[in-house]
Amino acid sequence: MSLVKTSMLDIVINLYKYKLKAYKQVFMSLIFIQLLAVLFSFNGVGMMGSSTESIEIDVQFYSADLVITFTILWAFITAILITTSAYKNDDFAFVTNRLSSNLSNMVFLLTASIVGGITAMLSTSLMKIIMYLFGGHGHIAANLSLSEVVLGYSSTILYILLFSGLGYFIGTLVQVSRIFVAVIPGIFIGAGILGAGSRGFEWVKSIYQFIFTEPSILLFVLKVLVIVGLLFTGSIALSNRMEVR
Amino acid sequence: MILNMDGSQPIYLQIAEWLEREILNGNFGSDQKIYSQYQLAELFTINPATAAKGLTILAEENILYKKRGLGMFVSPTAKEIIINKRKNQTLKKLVLEIALEAERLDVSKEELIQMINDVNTGEAGE
Amino acid sequence: MRVIECNGLTKVYGRAKALNNLSFTIEENKITGLIGRNGAGKSTLLKIIAGFLRETSGEIKVFSEKPFNNLMVSANVIYIDDQMNFPTALTLKEILNVCPTFYEKWNHELAGRLFDYFSFQSAHYYNDLSKGMKSTFNMIVGLCARCALTMFDEPTTGMDAAVRKDFYRALLKDYISYPRTILLSSHHLNEVEDLLEDILLLKGGREYLHMPIGELKEWAIGIQGLTGKINEWAENKEVIYTKNIGLDRTYAVVRNTLSDTEAQQAKTSGLSLTPVSSSDVCVYLTSKTKGGIDDVFSED
Repeated sequence: MSLVKTSMLDIVINLYKYKLKAYKQVFMSLIFIQLLAVLFSFNGVGMMGSSTESIEIDVQFYSADLVITFTILWAFITAILITTSAYKNDDFAFVTNRLSSNLSNMVFLLTASIVGGITAMLSTSLMKIIMYLFGGHGHIAANLSLSEVVLGYSSTILYILLFSGLGYFIGTLVQVSRIFVAVIPGIFIGAGILGAGSRGFEWVKSIYQFIFTEPSILLFVLKVLVIVGLLFTGSIALSNRMEVR
Repeated sequence: MILNMDGSQPIYLQIAEWLEREILNGNFGSDQKIYSQYQLAELFTINPATAAKGLTILAEENILYKKRGLGMFVSPTAKEIIINKRKNQTLKKLVLEIALEAERLDVSKEELIQMINDVNTGEAGE
Repeated sequence: MRVIECNGLTKVYGRAKALNNLSFTIEENKITGLIGRNGAGKSTLLKIIAGFLRETSGEIKVFSEKPFNNLMVSANVIYIDDQMNFPTALTLKEILNVCPTFYEKWNHELAGRLFDYFSFQSAHYYNDLSKGMKSTFNMIVGLCARCALTMFDEPTTGMDAAVRKDFYRALLKDYISYPRTILLSSHHLNEVEDLLEDILLLKGGREYLHMPIGELKEWAIGIQGLTGKINEWAENKEVIYTKNIGLDRTYAVVRNTLSDTEAQQAKTSGLSLTPVSSSDVCVYLTSKTKGGIDDVFSED
């Protein structure tokens, strides 16, 4: 009897390649959601008008923020989805252990975040083109330098990654115990309601500020990566003793 | 042949008996190579180990002999051994059964012998 | 080489013990039948061996390693049951094409031929298959993976008689051309027993019997005759089943420790001896009472 020898790296790469094929509906839903967001965005996110006796100025703001928001939501839900037992058991139909299954999921989520981020940003350009062709409004302000473009893309990707990491962690928690299905929304909503006014929930605000109002791009990247790393490590630690099938 | 799968007799014994019949019928001459355990396994959809056990029994009774690395062969005295064995064991057992059944039915010895004679003449008449 | 070694293996779910101090070893390249009633712990045992579940206590080694969360064990073991999960987005052909990337010894040619033989359509999806077709597809994956330890848990669920027969034959043929250790759990012992070399009988999460299948057939013997005579005769014997026939006759199954002369004596004293099929032996051994279902209906 000759036994097959395996390496963790090979298995993770195999699982990753397999997931790109097997999870293709994830990308289908991305396209759908982004198109939907683009459609909504044409309503304009803001309007400003002023008029004197002879001139009327009408300013419409269009932005792809909604696309990015939707994409973040998509990443969050996708991440939760792939922690469910149906997806997990797909892995265990083949060769894997919990670590390789988790690692390949993370590489997959990273890929999904990059794809989601790039397409979300590209849809901004798409909107501009459509506005230019069909909008009939004269001036479109859209001059960005290369560094601004890179900054925009990378921070979008990082936001998406951050929320996919959060989704993955929450999904794993739920897999560990069903109690979290009730507990987690409770925490979020509770923190939202109470955090708005009460001083006791300053920490919610400080978490928000810690991540989203960081002025230094390098620090921002570092913070997001550390948090995502912690979320993924936590997920691995939680699920490594879990039984499957 | 399809094995009798109703569980009345272990498969390896059925295999051994089947091989004996093949030898008696002349399908395998002396010093001829007989089926391997794997051929038997395929033939009857049985585990090769079971087939091997059937072959081993025949080898123990000197009906087959083993050539290292080549397989099992029919020994020159195979037919003789099989016939003797069947006379002394199988037939004796059957006769015992017949005798017991005859006793239960109150069939006398003479009647029984007559019945056997009838069977034989019936066969000859055909 | 020992493929599976377990010692005092126990698995507890809540308060129930699915496996209770189970100890046995499985040798290399044997086909072993895992037999037991529903809830005897067959699936739990197989899932622990596959590394899906974790033992509560005791020791389990597969290829000399602990199976839980073990990549080497996962690469050399395949576990097929009727709750297999395959990605819903992939077609049957795509699933088969994924397999060789995971299983080094995957026989793609055989997989293709079996796929065609059982008339699967490349573009179909696994979830759209009927129960029997799912089992058949699982079987193709299980066979073609050619894992050093291949485990089938009730593989024939939903298959029709013809496909079941084909499955057993395919299993045997591929085993002959590529010997490996196979564990086969089944309710239908009479269907699989010819394929088996050994049998492992579980009862209440414990190992009850572990022996070559040939011996099981001679393990017990059925005896029938007048009730009084049977009772007298079976007094110091291990009786595993009794049943009243008519008013004054009894059929009993006892452990076969009879010598030839004892058997002869029994016969001459008017008792008839009959062999007991392996599957009947298993049913008798695993039932809770010696009379089986009849005990439920008897008044006393």
